[in-house]
Amino acid sequence: MSAVSARPVPARRPTFAWRALLALGIFFVLALAFPFLPLGDRREFLLQIGFFTLVAGIMALSWDLLARSGQVSLAHAAFYGLGAYGYALLLKAGVPWGAAMPLAALTAGFVSLLLGGVTMRLSGMYFAIATLAFTEVVRTVIQNLPESVAGGANGLLVPALLGGNSRGQYLLALALLLLTVGVSLAVRLSKLHHAFAAIRQGEETARVLGVNVVRYKLAAFFLSSVLAALAGVLYAGKTFFISPLDTFSLANSISPLTTSIFGGLYTTLGPILGATVLRVAEELLHNTVKNGYLVVYGLVLMLSILWLPRGIVGLWRRGRQGGDL
Amino acid sequence: MSAAQSVPASALPVLRAENLSKRFGGLNAVQNVSFTHYAGEILAVIGPNGAGKTTLLNLLSGVYRPSTGRLWLQEQDITNAPMERRCHAGLGRAFQIVRPFPEMTVHENVTVGALFGQRGIRLPQAREQAYDLLERTGLAAHADRAAHELTLLQDKRLEVARALATQPRVLLLDEVMAGLRPAEAQEAVELVRGIRDSGISILFIEHIMPVVRDLADRVVVMDQGQVLAEGTYREVTANPQVVAAYLGTEAGLHA
Repeated sequence: MSAVSARPVPARRPTFAWRALLALGIFFVLALAFPFLPLGDRREFLLQIGFFTLVAGIMALSWDLLARSGQVSLAHAAFYGLGAYGYALLLKAGVPWGAAMPLAALTAGFVSLLLGGVTMRLSGMYFAIATLAFTEVVRTVIQNLPESVAGGANGLLVPALLGGNSRGQYLLALALLLLTVGVSLAVRLSKLHHAFAAIRQGEETARVLGVNVVRYKLAAFFLSSVLAALAGVLYAGKTFFISPLDTFSLANSISPLTTSIFGGLYTTLGPILGATVLRVAEELLHNTVKNGYLVVYGLVLMLSILWLPRGIVGLWRRGRQGGDL
Repeated sequence: MSAAQSVPASALPVLRAENLSKRFGGLNAVQNVSFTHYAGEILAVIGPNGAGKTTLLNLLSGVYRPSTGRLWLQEQDITNAPMERRCHAGLGRAFQIVRPFPEMTVHENVTVGALFGQRGIRLPQAREQAYDLLERTGLAAHADRAAHELTLLQDKRLEVARALATQPRVLLLDEVMAGLRPAEAQEAVELVRGIRDSGISILFIEHIMPVVRDLADRVVVMDQGQVLAEGTYREVTANPQVVAAYLGTEAGLHA
C-alpha cells in the first residue's frame, strides 16, 4: 500500500457554481414574493399558473435526478399518479392530509423500487419502453379497481388542499419545490453524485471501480419517485378531481423530460428555469395565438434544443466541465 | 529508478486460478487454465491472436463467469463474484480501450475509484487520495481538465490512476502499451515498475515482446485456450513449442 504523504497542497474543492446558487436564491425570493404582490382581478388565475409552474418544477427536477444515474424514465406519470391516487385514497380512508401526503409519496417510492428492480439490466430505449409500459400497467390497474374503491374510469373527487386557499396552496407547492431543490443539492454534493455520474457515463467501468450499481440505481428511483409523487399530491389537492386518463397521461411523463432538456440536464437550476420559462411561455402563447399555440410552443422547443444543446443554463457555463450545480 | 526485483521463493500467492474453462457454444475459448500469481510479482500472459488471453482476463475481472474451475484472490473465492465485489476484494483493472468518464474532470474520474473502491471512505478523503495519485502518475497539472481532452498516453495514465485509487492488491493490465510510441511505452514501463514497487502485484497481457522482456518476472504462454508454457522470459522464448506456436510471427517474438 502506498503511504499517504503529508502534503501542504489542499485537495481540490469541487468547483462550486456560486452563480447557480445565487440564481436559485433569487428564484426563491421572487417566487415567495409573488403571491403577496397586488395581482388585481386575475389573482386566482395567476396564482394557479404559479402553482402549476412550481409543480412542473418539482416534476422536472425529480425526473432529472433519475436521469443523472443514466435512467431516462417515461414512468413519471405513474409516480405522479401514484402520489395523486395514494393521497386521494388515504384521505378517503380517513387519514389526515398532513400524514396522507408523505405516506402517498413513500408508497410511490416503494412501488418504484419494484420497477427499478425489473429494469435494472435495461438501458436506453429498452429502459424507456419498459417504464412507459409500467405507467400503462399502473393506470390499467387503478382504472379497473372496483369503482367504489378508486372511482374507475370516472375518477375520484379529492378534498381541496388547505380548504382551497390559493395562496396557501401556492406556498405549500413552493415549500415542496424547496425540498426538491434541497434533495438535488444534497445529492450533488454527496457520494451519490459521483455514483450517478459514473453509472451514466460508463456502467461497466463504474462496477469495475467498485460502484454498487444496483444500490445506486434504486436510490435514484426512490428519491425521484417520492418527489414526483409529491407533485401528484399537489395536483390532486388543487384540481380536486382526478381521473386515470388525465393523471397518467403521457404528457405527464414527457414534459419533465423536455423541461429538463430545455433548462439544462443534470443541474438543479436548469429544470426549474425550464419549467418557469416553458409554463409562462405556454400561457402567453395560449393568450395570443389561441388554438395555434401548441404549434408555436413545439417550434420554440425544437429550435431551442437545436441551438442550446445544454439548455438555458448552458448559456453561461459554456465550455465548462464538471462542477455544475 | 528501481531495478526489477526477483520474486522471493517464499512469496505468497495473491491470485490463483484452478482449471478455469470458458466455452462459447462449441468453442473452448479457455480450457483448464491454472496458474498462481505471487505477491509482488509482475506476471505476463502472452500468446498468438485468438489464444484466449482476453477471455482469460475477462474471467479474472468478472466480465464472464467460468464454465468450470475456481478463482481465488488471497483466501477469498471470487469465482462467481460480481465485478464490484472483486474490486472490494482487491482486484483492479485497466482497460485496453481507455474508458474515462467523459464528462468528468480527470480528478473526478480518479475520485470515483477512491470513493467506491474502498469501504468507509468519505468524499473529502477520496478527493485528497485522488489528487495524490494524479501527482504520482504525472497528471496533477491536468486535474481540472475534462477527461475527453487528454492524449492517449495521458488517458492510459488516467486509466491506471483510477484503478490504483481502488487500492488493489492485484492490478490487471490489458495491453496498456497498445498504440503508444516507443518512447511513451518506455515511460509506461517505468510507471508499471513503480506501481509494483509500491507493493501491488501486476498481471498484464501484452503483444509487444520487448515490453514483456523488460517488465515480466514470469510469463504464462497461452495457445488455443490452454497454457502452453510458463517460466521466465528467457525460458519460454527458448521453448520450441512456444516458438512453433508463434511460427509466422517469430520475428515479433525476437524483436
